[in-house]
Amino acid sequence: MLWAYIYCYQLTLDSHNYAAKHKAVHYPESSIDTANTSSWLTSSAPIAVYCSKVNKIIQCNDVAKKEGIDIGHGLAQAAALCPYIHILPFNAESERQILTQLAHRLYPLASDIVLDSHAYSGGLAVRLDNLVHYYGGHAPLWKTLTQALSESDVRYHFGCAWTIEAAKVLALRKHDSYLHALDDIKKALNTCPLSLTALAPNVIESLARVGVTRVQQLLAMPVQELGRRFDNNTIVYLTALRGETFPRVTLFRPLERFDNFLLLPFDVENIQHLTPFVTQQFEHLAYYLRARNLYTSSVSVHIHFREASPINIAIHSALPQSSVKSWLPLFTLKIENLVLPEPATAVELKCQEFEAVDTHNGDFFSDRFNDVAQKQLIGRLNAKLGDNSTFQPRAGNSHQFEYMTVNESSGSEYTYCSDTAPTFTFDSPKPLTQPTQICFGPVRLHSEWWRDRTNQRDYFIAQTPQSVRLLVFKDEKKQWWVHGLFC
Amino acid sequence: MNKTLSVLNNHPHIWRAREQKQSEAKYSLGFPRLDEALNGGVASTGLVRVASLTGVGELSLFKDVICHHRTHKLVVFINPPGHLQSPWLENLGLKAEQVLVVKTQVQQESLWAAEQCLKSTACHCVLLWSNTINQKEARRLQVAATHNDALCLLYTPLQQSLSSSSKQRNNLQGSSQAHSSDALPITLDLCLQGNPHSLSVNIRKQRHGWPKDNIVILHKWTPDNNAIKWAMAHNTLSDQALHSVS
Repeated sequence: MLWAYIYCYQLTLDSHNYAAKHKAVHYPESSIDTANTSSWLTSSAPIAVYCSKVNKIIQCNDVAKKEGIDIGHGLAQAAALCPYIHILPFNAESERQILTQLAHRLYPLASDIVLDSHAYSGGLAVRLDNLVHYYGGHAPLWKTLTQALSESDVRYHFGCAWTIEAAKVLALRKHDSYLHALDDIKKALNTCPLSLTALAPNVIESLARVGVTRVQQLLAMPVQELGRRFDNNTIVYLTALRGETFPRVTLFRPLERFDNFLLLPFDVENIQHLTPFVTQQFEHLAYYLRARNLYTSSVSVHIHFREASPINIAIHSALPQSSVKSWLPLFTLKIENLVLPEPATAVELKCQEFEAVDTHNGDFFSDRFNDVAQKQLIGRLNAKLGDNSTFQPRAGNSHQFEYMTVNESSGSEYTYCSDTAPTFTFDSPKPLTQPTQICFGPVRLHSEWWRDRTNQRDYFIAQTPQSVRLLVFKDEKKQWWVHGLFC
Repeated sequence: MNKTLSVLNNHPHIWRAREQKQSEAKYSLGFPRLDEALNGGVASTGLVRVASLTGVGELSLFKDVICHHRTHKLVVFINPPGHLQSPWLENLGLKAEQVLVVKTQVQQESLWAAEQCLKSTACHCVLLWSNTINQKEARRLQVAATHNDALCLLYTPLQQSLSSSSKQRNNLQGSSQAHSSDALPITLDLCLQGNPHSLSVNIRKQRHGWPKDNIVILHKWTPDNNAIKWAMAHNTLSDQALHSVS
């Protein structure tokens, strides 16, 4: 067997970032007015997650780390180091919810998932050996999984080994590389200290007394020897770590009904401001329904508060439907007259009843697994051709033809569209060598002042005798260059 | 002998010229004359070769085919001859998230990538730029495309087709070579030639139909100065009016 353990060490922080970013993207105008009053929206604010049970900071972002705050500090120490730090309360229940959502996201791609949530952090174990066959190799499989993880914006460490227990030790070690050869796994495991294993503290201590501090030394000992000295649980764990036994685990199964709980990154006073978060949940619902070939005609939105009892907004539609586009207008109509009794802290979207799509609708069937197929395709291409071989062109924030298109979404809200943009541009302009006739132009473009080289170009569309249309320009020295093609 | 021949004759893939109408899904190109010559348009699946110079409007010609069908699926550009510009895609009518560009190092990689894309069932259309392709490779792509309900447009340079037509002439002149390497087992084989004001399309081979040469269509794929020219031509009157005012 081969398992990967994905150790998510800052789930609360990640979900806060994700919700904040999502809101900023969808409602830029509303983010402007709130950003003035509270600085939490900007990623440059220091944020830490605080657990009141143990009085410790258990997660903090990079900005907070720069301020000197580290995991394990108390609240007073953190406040003394950085008076304007934003503190999020830790809630084990909500962290488990986030982990479940992550498992839901991975479930279409991997069948055997084990949820492993313990006191202050969580992790997912994914069985890989039975999937390799379907993905056609280790590399495409792992690329597909990591792509799905990167879309969910969760930070993680991972490890791969023959059992969940062994993979978890590697993940906690922050090993972060994909191994499938037994020798490699053994080599990686050998160097791990015993403190990363799930052995009880008194066992680790008694082992340390006889000089055993590394996994290598522990694995070298015969089981019979250890069996005389330690209890049954320890022995079961040790054999699992060696890969000799495979303890029974409960596999993750998605719920029959849809239930998505989202802790808001800040208290929302105005009900209209809930829309972006509910949109996010409707997107999850749409994805869920699509994958199962279902429709629904009623959903309910629960809004949770600190003290008041939760509000339940039931939304019914005449026609069974699934898309965000059809549910969101109904929701906005419903909340138009509602006033929140106190600031909301969380929203939950539930859906109990589903209706199957009638099978005569062939179009619905045809794109059912499209999303998964696309991910698998991109994972496969990247695995063979290299990570930079595929990209999706995005609009860039520039009026110059060189910078109009970027390979990765820059997140900038301002993009240019241009009628005169060519189909293809060349790496660098080539001198114009053939006779041409101008059919459109001129369009004069100056480079932006912040670029290193400023230039001024008069762009034309020109046609060669063979009727090839070129994007040509005349520079300041009156020389002619070809910059692109219209196909 | 006779029996075996009649069995062969029943094969559904044998097309006879008297069977004009085929109930095959076709995508219209939006040019009436061309659609008529193609019996309704481009087939919805299979491999289509387009031999032309780069930049004669060979992509915009397929605008309706690329943009208006199976819009939930990907359009993949494999090894395009430059940096694909997103405003152009937007003008054409493609959404950015629907487009994937694949860059490859060698010819074999692009063929492999095209086959993977076609087989993935996630793609509506694969646009592949490749200099040469042999019969075996073309057959692989054709099968992958038809079995997975996808379309593959293969763009090749013009020189190849010219040499092949001379080769065909040689064949006619006597050397009874069985096949020129250029006859590919594909759905449609087009050759585009640009003229100053129009585009002439040669159908060199099509399934379930006859080849046809020199179909001239008016094809506009870039903005032009006609509005300005028109304004200049009709300017004389306002010019006089200006004079009369002063």
